[in-house]
Amino acid sequence: MPLELLQRLDRLARNLTPLTLTFLLVIISATPLRIPDFGPVAPNVGLIAAYYWGIYRPDLFPAVAAFAVGLWQDVLIGTPLGMNAMVLLAIHWFILSQRRFFQGKSFAVVWWAFALIATAMAALLWLIAMAYHARLLDATPAAFQGVLTVALYPFLTWVFARIQHAVLRQA
Amino acid sequence: MKYRAGSVMRLAVPFRALTQRFAFLFLILAAFGLMMIGKAETLLVERVRTGVIDVVAPIMDVLSRPAAKVTAFVDDMRHLTELRSENQQLRLQNTRLLQWQEAARKLSTENATLRELLNIVPDSRVQYASARVISDSVAVFARSVLINAGGRHGVAKGQAVVTGEGLAGRIISVGDGSARALLITDLNSRIPAVIEESRERAIVAGDNSGQLRLTFIGRDNRVELGNRVLTSGHGGAFPPGLPIGVVSQIENGVIRVQPFVRFDRLEFVRIADFSRVIGAEETPTDPDSGIP
Repeated sequence: MPLELLQRLDRLARNLTPLTLTFLLVIISATPLRIPDFGPVAPNVGLIAAYYWGIYRPDLFPAVAAFAVGLWQDVLIGTPLGMNAMVLLAIHWFILSQRRFFQGKSFAVVWWAFALIATAMAALLWLIAMAYHARLLDATPAAFQGVLTVALYPFLTWVFARIQHAVLRQA
Repeated sequence: MKYRAGSVMRLAVPFRALTQRFAFLFLILAAFGLMMIGKAETLLVERVRTGVIDVVAPIMDVLSRPAAKVTAFVDDMRHLTELRSENQQLRLQNTRLLQWQEAARKLSTENATLRELLNIVPDSRVQYASARVISDSVAVFARSVLINAGGRHGVAKGQAVVTGEGLAGRIISVGDGSARALLITDLNSRIPAVIEESRERAIVAGDNSGQLRLTFIGRDNRVELGNRVLTSGHGGAFPPGLPIGVVSQIENGVIRVQPFVRFDRLEFVRIADFSRVIGAEETPTDPDSGIP
């Protein structure tokens, strides 16, 4: 039954879209843009992806996916392995525990919630980094990154929504 | 039949919830464990990391090219407006540099004659490999870059990464076709240095900010604002005399150094293979050979 096999492959490819897309975005976000002082505070696309897919398609973006994306960021960026994985898992857990809250909420509310979560995650990353390096670190870059990530959220989620609409409609 | 299916479901749902919760806990522990392993067993973790990066390096290489083109274009546009004043400035600088060239030529011939008189064994030249920066450090608490040259091109751990402006960092992990360089501004970077004017030794340490800190220097030092800081070559990893930066601030005994390299502009770097020169064998090869 070759047709059924093809259908299955098609379904699999569609279902893997959120994850593959996020992996690609992480690679793109690591590309040097050579904007002065931008590198260290470049927005965290993994955070946006884990948040968006965690709310709208948690079936296609389980905890393992959040873990994998975080690990992928750690490998590419050069942060200690597991640091971003931990942060994305935390965000995933939070969204799952608050599923009721997110259901049917308007974009503005979801964005506002994201701003709060991004702030909490920046603080968490800062704490983990300090614990890891056993040293006091300046929190300013983390705060800036948080702001930029929140600013990027509408653009990136617009792309996500488009793709979700085009690829995952029937799934 | 219906009854049996129902009972299975009644058992399955909580079981599934339990496994999900367990899986989540397991993942958290895995992330934590990886961080612990990464701290203790750096070699293994680095090997895995470089293996993965080797695979994606070609993709990043391709991606970094158009990004570089766009920034270059934007730069061009911006410079277009300042062309006239810049031209004038360059002309002035050119006359000054020509004088310097004259002086350098004289000194060079004089140096050669004196060396001949004294029978000094010449320093063999440091071998360089050029590479392109394919990934920025996008981490908040780390400063490093990926380059598209690796073991295949003679790059090895510990080698100095330089640009035309000065020292940029050192190689910390090497894959086959890619390598990661820890920038001198990173929290974990420590470079043996010497003050050019007073020849005092110190350690230049990064702290994730744009500036460096001069440490392990005596309290009664003679460091002054504007002093140049060079690599001392101690420890044998780096060639001596590579420019690092200039002393930009002295406050309550804390000495700050402004690096020469502009890290937001890193595109091409050179990797200095100095270790080969130390091992007495002479390898006077072309600089800039092995451009990948």
